[in-house]
Amino acid sequence: MAKIGVYVCHCGSNIGGVIDVSDVREYAEGLPDVALARQDLFMCSDSGQELIKQDIRDGKVDRVVVAACTPRTHEPIFRGACEKGGLNKFLFEMANIRDQASWVHGQDPEGATAKAKKVVSSAVGKARNLEPLEEKYVDVTDAAMVIGGGIGGITAALELARMGHKTYLVEKDPSIGGRMAQLDKTFPTNDCSACILTPMMVEAYSHPNIETLCYSEVEDVEGYIGNFKVKIRQKQSYVNWDKCTGCGACAEKCPGKAPDEFNEGLSMRRAAFIMFPQAVPKKAVIDMNACINCAGRTIGSEPKVNAKTGNPILAPCEKACPAEAINRSLMLDPNGTIKEIEVGSIITATGYKVMGKENFKEMAPDSPNVITALQLERLISATGPTGGKLLRPSDHEKPHTLTFVSCMGSRDKNFHTYCSRFCCMYMIKQARLLKEKYPDLVINMHFIDIRTAGKDYDEYYTGARDMGINFFKGKVGGLDMLAGDKLRVNAYDMENGETIEYESDLVILASAVEMSDGTTELAQKMGLQFCGSKFFRELHPKLGPVETAVSGLFLAGCCQGPKDIPDTVSQAKGAAAVAAVPLAQGKVKIDPTISEVVTEKCSGCGICEPLCPYGAITMKKVDGKPRAMIAISSCKGCGVCTSACPSSAIQLHGYMEEQILEQIAALTA
Amino acid sequence: MEQIGLYLGCNIPLKHPDIEQSFRKILPELGVEPLDLEGASCCPAWGTAPSFDLQTWCAISSRNITIAEQKGVDIMTGCNSCFGILSEAKHFLEDKEMKKKVNESLSAINRTYQGTSDIYHIAQYLHSKVGVDAIKSKIKYSLDGLKMATQTGCHTLWPSDVYKIAEQNPYEPTILKDLCMATGAEVPHYSRLAACCGMGGMRSTDIEKSLKLFKEKLISIKEETDPDMIVTTCSSCFMQFDMSQLILRERGEIDFEPIPTFYYTQVLALAMGFDPSQVAAISQIDRSKIIAEMQSEQRLVKEVA
Amino acid sequence: MQIDQKKIDEAVSTIIGYGGTHILDCVGCGACSAVCPGVKAGFDVLCRKLIRKIVTGHLEEIIEETSSWGCQACNRCTEVCPQGVRPQEVVFAFRRYQANELAFSTSSITSQMNLFETGHAVFTDPKANRKKVGLPEEPPTSAYNEQAQKEIQTLMNNSSMGELGLF
Repeated sequence: MAKIGVYVCHCGSNIGGVIDVSDVREYAEGLPDVALARQDLFMCSDSGQELIKQDIRDGKVDRVVVAACTPRTHEPIFRGACEKGGLNKFLFEMANIRDQASWVHGQDPEGATAKAKKVVSSAVGKARNLEPLEEKYVDVTDAAMVIGGGIGGITAALELARMGHKTYLVEKDPSIGGRMAQLDKTFPTNDCSACILTPMMVEAYSHPNIETLCYSEVEDVEGYIGNFKVKIRQKQSYVNWDKCTGCGACAEKCPGKAPDEFNEGLSMRRAAFIMFPQAVPKKAVIDMNACINCAGRTIGSEPKVNAKTGNPILAPCEKACPAEAINRSLMLDPNGTIKEIEVGSIITATGYKVMGKENFKEMAPDSPNVITALQLERLISATGPTGGKLLRPSDHEKPHTLTFVSCMGSRDKNFHTYCSRFCCMYMIKQARLLKEKYPDLVINMHFIDIRTAGKDYDEYYTGARDMGINFFKGKVGGLDMLAGDKLRVNAYDMENGETIEYESDLVILASAVEMSDGTTELAQKMGLQFCGSKFFRELHPKLGPVETAVSGLFLAGCCQGPKDIPDTVSQAKGAAAVAAVPLAQGKVKIDPTISEVVTEKCSGCGICEPLCPYGAITMKKVDGKPRAMIAISSCKGCGVCTSACPSSAIQLHGYMEEQILEQIAALTA
Repeated sequence: MEQIGLYLGCNIPLKHPDIEQSFRKILPELGVEPLDLEGASCCPAWGTAPSFDLQTWCAISSRNITIAEQKGVDIMTGCNSCFGILSEAKHFLEDKEMKKKVNESLSAINRTYQGTSDIYHIAQYLHSKVGVDAIKSKIKYSLDGLKMATQTGCHTLWPSDVYKIAEQNPYEPTILKDLCMATGAEVPHYSRLAACCGMGGMRSTDIEKSLKLFKEKLISIKEETDPDMIVTTCSSCFMQFDMSQLILRERGEIDFEPIPTFYYTQVLALAMGFDPSQVAAISQIDRSKIIAEMQSEQRLVKEVA
Repeated sequence: MQIDQKKIDEAVSTIIGYGGTHILDCVGCGACSAVCPGVKAGFDVLCRKLIRKIVTGHLEEIIEETSSWGCQACNRCTEVCPQGVRPQEVVFAFRRYQANELAFSTSSITSQMNLFETGHAVFTDPKANRKKVGLPEEPPTSAYNEQAQKEIQTLMNNSSMGELGLF
C-alpha cells in the first residue's frame, strides 16, 4: 500500500490569503493511503523541501503530493527534493491550488477552499498509482544552425563558433547583413550602421567554424534536440559563386530591371545584381523574374553564332564577366540544390519587415512623398538611391518641411495592438541626423506618446528637443494631397486642444514591425508556435525568452517580438549560450513521460502513425505482422496516439489510464 | 426590370422634389423600377431620436425598413443622412438583444423587423448595380469639356464597416468621380475632396462655424480646380453649396460668382435629355446658363438607338 | 482639478448606459479630434476632449456644452480610431444624457414635434414645388398618410422620448 505525503503550501498570501490551508491539510489527512499531511508558509523554501526529504528518509512516505503553485515552474524543484531524499522523482505529483483555486476564485474563499480539496484529492488519486520511471540519454551532433543572417543571426553564429561549435548560418538573401545593413546610423550613439556591422559580417563569413549558406532557405527539418536533420535549398543564382569576384561588371551591362529591395523600392536594380556595396559574400545573382534573356540566351540554350565571325553570340552579363562565372549554356536547375546537414540545436533569427504605406488609406498612400521610415533610412544613406542627399521622391528637390508620424499600424486594433518598440527612437534618430545636416529643415514629429525606455535613450530624445525639432502629442488623423506634390497634414495638438493643419513636403510613416515573409511555412516545418501578435512564441515570457516549446529550437531578435539592435544582440548572445548547452553536454536527457506501445495489444492498424505530430511512430514487422514502434527520442509525450489507439495499446507514462481514472473519480466524487 | 424600394427621406420630397423627379426619370431608362415605400417617415434624422434614445432610433428606422421588407426589395436612398442613419441602425440591429427589444416596440404597430433588406445609396446603386457603361450608353448630351468638382458627403464614406458598399479608399472616394466621368465631364482632384461641407447639426447649432468650414472647402475647390459646376450625391451638401455660396458672396467673403451646384442625378437626367423644368428646377443659384450649355445642340451625341 | 472616483464611475456608467459602450478603451491619442470637422470648426468639446471630460468625472459640469450639437455624425472619428472606441457613439451618448436632462436648444424641440406630427423632422409644404416639377402634390411618405403618422406616434409615445413631454 502506498504511503502518500501531502504538503500544502500557503505561498505567502497567494494561497493562504484566500484558502483555509489548515482545513485543506486536515482534509488531505483523511484521504485513503495518505500517511501524513503537513503545511508550510513556503514549501519551495529550503526548510519546506527539507520536510519532504526528511519524511522520505524516515520511511514515512513513498509518494509525494505538493499542493502549491504551478508545475510549470516548481515541479523540477520538488522532484529534486524527492530525488535527494532518495525517492524516484516521478513518484511526485503537484496539485495546483494557486492558479486553479486561490487566484481564480479570490472573491470566494469558501468555494476556493472546497475546490482546493478536490484538486488535492485528485492529485492523491493519481499519486496512489504512480510508477517509478527512468530518464534516458541520447548522443548529440555537435553543430548548430542559425536561420537568418541579420545582426541577431550573425551575433548568435559568432558566439557559437567562438565556443567551438560548428555553425551553419542560413540566409535567404544573397548577402548577410539583414535590416541593419539598410540603416544609415544607429541610436543612441549615431555610429554608422555599416561601420559596426561590416566587420562582424566579415568575421562571421570567414570564421573557420561558420559555414555561411546565403541565398538559401530551410526546406525541411526532422528530428529532435541533439539530432536534427535539416534540408536546405540553395536557390539558383545563375552565377558560379566559386568564380564570381563581386566586380559588378554583369550588373553594369544588364538591361533587365526590377525594384531594388535593398533600397525599399526607391530605385531600380538590374536583373543581374550585387545586393549592396558591402555585401558579404560579395557575389552576383541573376533574378530570372527580371531577366529578359538577351540574345535569346534562355538558361540552357545553345548560343546563336555570328554569321560573319563565327563566334557565339553571348548575353551581356556573360560577355561582361571577366571571371567567366556566368555561362547561360549550362542547364542549371531553377530550383537550385538541396544540401543536407545535421545539427544538435537551431536558432531562429528571421527578423522582421515593416508594413507598407498602402495599408494606411488616410495617409495619402498614392503620394510619392509619403514614405516609410525604412525608406527614409535608404534616402539618407550614403549607399542609397540619392547618395545620402535628402531629396523628395516626387521631384528630387530638397524638402523644407518634414513630418514624422508615429504608431502607423502599431497600437492599433485595426492592425496590431502591440507597440513596435523601436520606432520612437529611430524617428528621433532620423530627425536628429537630418537636423544636424540641414539645420534649416522644419521637422515636426507627431506621437501618441514618446517611448524611450533604454539606456541613454531619454537623453537622446531630450537632446533632440534642444536641437529645435518640434514635438507634438497627438496622432495624425490624415493627409490631403496638394498640388505640387505637397501634403496637408491634419493633426491635433493634445496639449493645446487644437487642430493642427500645415503643408509638408515629405511625410515619414513609422509603420509597424511585422514578422518576415515565409515564417508561417518555416513554423510548420519546425513545429514553432505563434503568439497572439503573430511573432514566434517563446517558452516563457519572462523565464524562457529564447527557448521554445520544441526542445533544441531557440529564438533571437525580432522574430520573437519587436526589439532594437542592443536588445537583439543581447538576446542573440543569450540564445547562443542556451543553444550551446546540449552541444557542450554531448548528451541530452530524454524525458520518460512519453508514450510506449504494448506490442502484444497492438493490432497494427496504423491509425497512430500519421497522427503523430513529431513523426515518432513507424510501423515495423514483428513476427511478420505490422506493429507500431515509438522512437523515444522523438516522442514529446503529447498523448495523441494514446487517445487515438482503438486497442488501448499505447500507454503514456506519467499519464496512465488508471492514474487518470483515479483523478477523474476524485474530481467527480 | 430590377425593382428597388425608393426611400425619399424629408428634404428631397419636401424641399427639392426636382431631385426626386430626376430619380424617377432616369431609373426606368437604366432598367430599374423604383417602388414607392408608402408611409415611410424621416429616417429619423440625427438631431431627433438618435440624440435621445438609441432604441427609439432603431425602432423608427426599422419601421421604415420593414416597409421595404414587406415588398421584398432592398432600399435605395438619395439622402446621405438617411443612408447613414438606416445603415447604422441596421448595424445596431445585428445585436440580438437590440433586435428583440425593437421588435417588442414594433409589435405595438403590428410590424416585425427581419433584416432582409439591404440599404444602398443611389450613387452606390448606379455605380455597382447599373454600372458606368450602362450610364454611358444612355447619354444624349455629352458633357465633354465641362469640369466638375465632386462632393461625396460624409455619410456614405464613414464608418466603412457598417456600409454594404464601401469606397476602396474613403479618403479618396471615386464612385461619384466615375459617375460624373460617365457623362464625359472632367473631374479634377482637389485637396479638400473628402472634407465636410459644414451642413447638418453644425449649421443649425452655429452658422458662423459652419460657414467657416464651408468657405475653406469652397476655396479649395475654386482655387485648385475652377470648375463649371459642383456635383454632389448628398442632398444636405447640395443645400449647403446652393445656399451658403450666396451668403459668402453677399458678405464679400468670396470674390467669385457662386458655382452652380447639382445633385448628381440632375446632371445625369440633363445629360440624358430630360426637361430641366422638371429635373433641375429648384435652386437659389441661377443655373440656367450652365443648363443651357449642358443641353446645347453641339453636345448631342449621335442618336441613342 | 480634483479626482473624485465616485464622479468618474458615475460619469462613465452614464455614458456607457446611453450607448458610448467603448469609452474606456480610449488611450487619448487624439486621432479622432485631428479629423473631426466639428473640432476644426471650433466645437472643441467633442471627440478626445469630450471623452477626457467624461473619464475624469466632469459630466455634470459640461451638461450645457453646445459642442455636442455641432457633431456632424460623420464618423470620421470612428474610422480613424485605433482602439475601436467609436467616439461618435460617445458624443451621441452625451447628447442623450443632455437631452434626457432637457439640456438642449429650444429650436430642437420643433424637430421632435414635426417628427411626431408628420413623421418628418423637417417639414415644409411641398405641394407647389412638386406640382411645378410634374410630381403628384403629395409625396408617398408619412406626411400625408394618417396610418403612418399613428404608427410613428405609437412608437414615440411608447419610448423613453415620450416621457419627456416634448410632443
